[in-house]
Formats: sequence, structure tokens, C-alpha cells
Amino acid sequence: MRPSFFHHLHPPTIPTAQSRWRYTLGAGGTAIFLMLVLVITGALEMFYYIPTPAEAALSIQTITYLVPFGGLVRNIHFWSAQLLIVVSAVHLLRVVFTGAYIPPRRFNYLLGLALFLISIFLNFTGYILRWDTGIQWALVVGTNLIKTIPFFGNNLYTILIGGSEPGSPTLIRFYTWHVFGLMIISAILIGWHAFRVRRDGGIALPPPSLRADPNRISRFELVRRETLAMILTSAALIILSIFSPAPIAAPIRLSVLQSVPESAAAPWFFLWVQQMLKWGDPFLFGILVPVIILLILVLIPYIFPKTLESELGRWFPKSNRLAQITLAIITLLIIFFTILGSLPTS
Amino acid sequence: MTDLSRRDFLKLTRDGFLYLSGALAFGGLLRFLSHETNSARKTEFDLGFVDKYPLGSRASISEIPALLIHTDSGFTALSLTCTHLGCTLKPNETGFACPCHNSSFDAEGKVTHGPAVKPLKALRIEITDEGNLKVFTA
Repeated sequence: MRPSFFHHLHPPTIPTAQSRWRYTLGAGGTAIFLMLVLVITGALEMFYYIPTPAEAALSIQTITYLVPFGGLVRNIHFWSAQLLIVVSAVHLLRVVFTGAYIPPRRFNYLLGLALFLISIFLNFTGYILRWDTGIQWALVVGTNLIKTIPFFGNNLYTILIGGSEPGSPTLIRFYTWHVFGLMIISAILIGWHAFRVRRDGGIALPPPSLRADPNRISRFELVRRETLAMILTSAALIILSIFSPAPIAAPIRLSVLQSVPESAAAPWFFLWVQQMLKWGDPFLFGILVPVIILLILVLIPYIFPKTLESELGRWFPKSNRLAQITLAIITLLIIFFTILGSLPTS
Repeated sequence: MTDLSRRDFLKLTRDGFLYLSGALAFGGLLRFLSHETNSARKTEFDLGFVDKYPLGSRASISEIPALLIHTDSGFTALSLTCTHLGCTLKPNETGFACPCHNSSFDAEGKVTHGPAVKPLKALRIEITDEGNLKVFTA
């Protein structure tokens, strides 16, 4: 049989230790599955969605309330996107907490970070496509933040917004980035990321000379496990979609700046930034702090003590404690600020 | 530099041209994307006959958004766009509050609670010869 990309990712056998749930959590594979669900449900939504300020929110109402199974498609798209952020974050935590990012996997770690960042942008652009009173402050605040960047902030604003205030050029730009620009970049990166997993010798384990483990599972067992993860994820998506529908609000009537918003809250994954913005300088808290956090994540494989090869394949190896503690502190702070930001204001 | 072989020199030239054309294309892309489709933004708002706003009245002008106040000292129009990150303020007992990041302003537009730093913008007002009130946002 001629080997395909599928066979590249599923060799005849792999070490049992590489496919243990309690080691990998199945997070990377689940993220790829969610991306697939997003592409399919997103393509279906494109048959009805109209990216103009006057019709965007109405066309979403059409999908949600009139199109047969439209509500289900939209809810699954919404929940896949939210789960993707969670699962990607879990995947990142797993990789750092097991110290798996050391060479030769350092480059793939960076590819993964880029994918995480792009999925946040995809989520935010998709959120804005609702163009209703639930998203308008997130749009105004998010875009005004860009203006606070010194030197090139105003130019960047024009490039992203397409004018001096959010309007129809903004919607079509966000739409194009969402369904094409960011999509194509993430499709390429996902293929590359998955290819590099196999190229780098599969999931991180110590070399056989340091910890020999002859147990292996077959390609069929691997596919069985992947299928199980897909079925469980699908079940979670369907249950969430039925019991907790995707948010929707009244359409924006006049221009974005003139209509009354239904909600002043940022999307949940930016609540921590919204919380920090209450404390002071928008550029410092809204741009600089998130960029510094991203920079720390990028530098983890370069500046912190490296994981010992003999300690790979297990959680919390002693040799990369500093990286683990750094990421744990960042994660806890983000969770704490998110909780603060979601509390009703006094 | 004398060690630079012909092959290395050509390689350097080729790479230089490649990077240069890449940078030019990127610059072109940024310029392509920076066109403002709707650059003519409305900055002048006709609020109608002056007598519609008697002494002591406070009228909300939602299309700016702003608040028109008529006191003994004349008309003032206070912009209701938060000076922090641009959300629209909600009037309350003491002044105005921002729903996004908790900034608040007093009735004159001065900051009473951060994160906003700048006071609310007072918009320019003109009364035309026909007695119409006009507010300018720029």
C-alpha cells in the first residue's frame, strides 16, 4: 500500500507510553478534531451568513431560528470554538508540565503556540461577526486598544478596521480574516504541527538507552483510541449545544458607536484583559502585559533549565521546575483575573 | 571581505534581492489594506430650533452620542464617549459611569474614578442665524 499522510501519522506500531491518556490527555488530537468540526459547521454557516452591518445579525437569526438544524449547526460551531481554546490551553499546559518541549521538539512547540494564538484570533473575529448589541463594546474596546500602540497604532487600526470607526469595511475585513486568511494559515500550521510530531519521534519519551519499554500498540489500537476521543468530544458538543445555546442579541441599529449595548462584557477568554484594563493605562494592561506573557511562553524552551532526557514521558519532571512554576503562576493569575472580571461590578 | 568567493557573492546578492522584494511586497500589502473606504465621517449635527431646549433642560443626543445641557451660562454639549477606550457612558445620579471598565465622571465631565485620565470632551456648539443649534464633533 502506498503510504499516505494518514499512515505517516499512524505508523504500524507506536510505544504504549506515547499513547497513554494520563500522559497526553488526548488534548492535541482533540484540538485537531475540533478544528475539523469548526471547518464543516463554519462552511455550512457560510451558506446563510451575510457579512453586512444591516444583515449580519438578522442572517444569524435566520440560521438559528428558521433553518432546519441551523441552531444545532451554530451551537456546535460556537461550542467547538470555546472548547478549542480550553483544549489548546490544556495541551500547552501538558507540554510544559511534562517538559516535552526540549529539542528536537522546540520548533513544534513554537508552531503550537502560533496555532493557539491564531485560534484566539479566529474566536474573536467569529465573535465579532455576530454584529449585534452583545459584541459591540468588545469591538469598540478591542479596536481602540490598537490605537494605543505607540508609533504605528493608528496605521494598524486603519489596516484592520478599514476606516476611522467600525463599520461595514470592518465587518467584511473580519469576515475575510475569519473564513479565509486565518483559516488558511491555521490549516497549514496544523498539517505542519502534526507532521512534526512524527518527524520528531512521536510524543516525547526518554531514549530506549535510558528507560527501555518494549510495549507497543498497533495502528488499529491508536485509531480506536482516537475514535473514542472523537465520540466523547462529539457527545460533549451535542449536550452543550442542546442545553446551552450560543449567545445572540438584538441587532445593532444605527452605527456601532450609536446603539445601546446589551452587554459590556468581553468574550470570556478576554475577561482577564478587561479586568486589568480597569486598573489603568490601556496600552500597558491591554497590549504590553499580554504580549509579555506570550513572550515568556515563547522563551520557555530557550531560557529555562532544560528537562533531562531521562525524565521525559512523566508529569512534573524535577529538571524543568522553573518553567512549570512560571506557567502555573501565569495560569493561576489569568484564571483569578477572569473570575474577578466576571463578577458583577459594584 | 576579500575572502568572499564568486559563489558566495552571487548567493548573497540573490538572497538580498529575495528579501528586498519580500519586504517591498509586504509594504505594498500594508498600503493596499490601509485604504479607508468610508473616510467622510459626519462631524456636524443639526439639532433643530434652539427653543426646543429650554433653560435647565438636559437632552441626550444619541447619534453622537452626547448630552446637551442648557444652564444660565448657556449651552454645553458633553461627549458621552468614555475617554478611556470609547464605550458610551451611562448617566447616573452624580454624573456618568462607564459600563466597560468602571470609569466615572462628574456632571461637568471631570474624572472621579479611573482608569480614564482625560475629562469628557466638550463639543463645539453654534447657533445659526436661523436659530438652529449645531454641534460639531471635530
